[in-house]
Amino acid sequence: MAKYLMSVWHGPDGPPEYADEAVMQKAFADTGAYNDRLATAGKLVFAGGLRSRDTATCVDNRTGTNVITDGPFIESKENLGGFWIIEADDLAEALEIASGASAACVNKVEVRPFQ
Amino acid sequence: MTQYMISVWHEPDLDDNISDDDMQRMFTQVDAFNQQVTAAGKWVFGGGLEPVHTATCVDGRDGGNVVTDGPFIESKEILGGFWVLELADLDEALELARQASAACEGKVEVRPFQGE
Repeated sequence: MAKYLMSVWHGPDGPPEYADEAVMQKAFADTGAYNDRLATAGKLVFAGGLRSRDTATCVDNRTGTNVITDGPFIESKENLGGFWIIEADDLAEALEIASGASAACVNKVEVRPFQ
Repeated sequence: MTQYMISVWHEPDLDDNISDDDMQRMFTQVDAFNQQVTAAGKWVFGGGLEPVHTATCVDGRDGGNVVTDGPFIESKEILGGFWVLELADLDEALELARQASAACEGKVEVRPFQGE
C-alpha cells in the first residue's frame, strides 16, 4: 500500500461556481458519502478543506531570522482548496478513487504519490 | 483546536541539486521535529511528495473520466510536502512553523482548515 495526495485546486474566484444552491448541496452530500465509503474501506487517511488563501501566512526561518509575511507562498491563478490523503495499492487504484472523488465534489482532482 | 496545514514549497529540481549530506541533515532535523509534535499530541499527518512529474489529473465530472499526466498548475515553486497539525490557534501554528522551517531548511506556508 502507498499513500497518495488527491488535491483540489480552485480558480482565482475561489471555490467552483455551482449552478445553484441545490447543486452545491448535492456536491457536499456526495462528497460526505464518498468520504464515508473510503473510510469504511480503510482507504481514507485524511480529508479536509482549507480556508481561503487570504488566511495563509508564510514563515521563513531558514537562517534563524524568523520572517513572517501574510499571504500564500505562490502567486498563481489557482490555489489549493483542499485534499484527501488516501491509501491505495497502486496508481491505478488511486486514479480510480480519484475518478469517484472528482465526480462527487464536481472538481478536477490531482493525484500525487507520497515518498 | 483547529487543524493547520504547514506546507513546504520549493523549486521543482531541488532534489537534484542537494547534496546527500545536506539531505541527511534535513531528514534528521525533520525527524526530531516530527517526534516532538507527535509526543505533544499535535500530529495528524506529515509526508513528503514524490516529484511533481509523478502527478496525474483526473476529471470524473459529468460521468466522464479524463486522465491527463502532470500537475494541475504550472508554477515556479511546487508543493514538496506538508504537515497537518492540531493546534490551539494561529499563534501556536506560527511558532511550530518557525521550528518546521528551521528543521526542513525551507520557507513554509501556514493555512487553517475549515471547521467541521
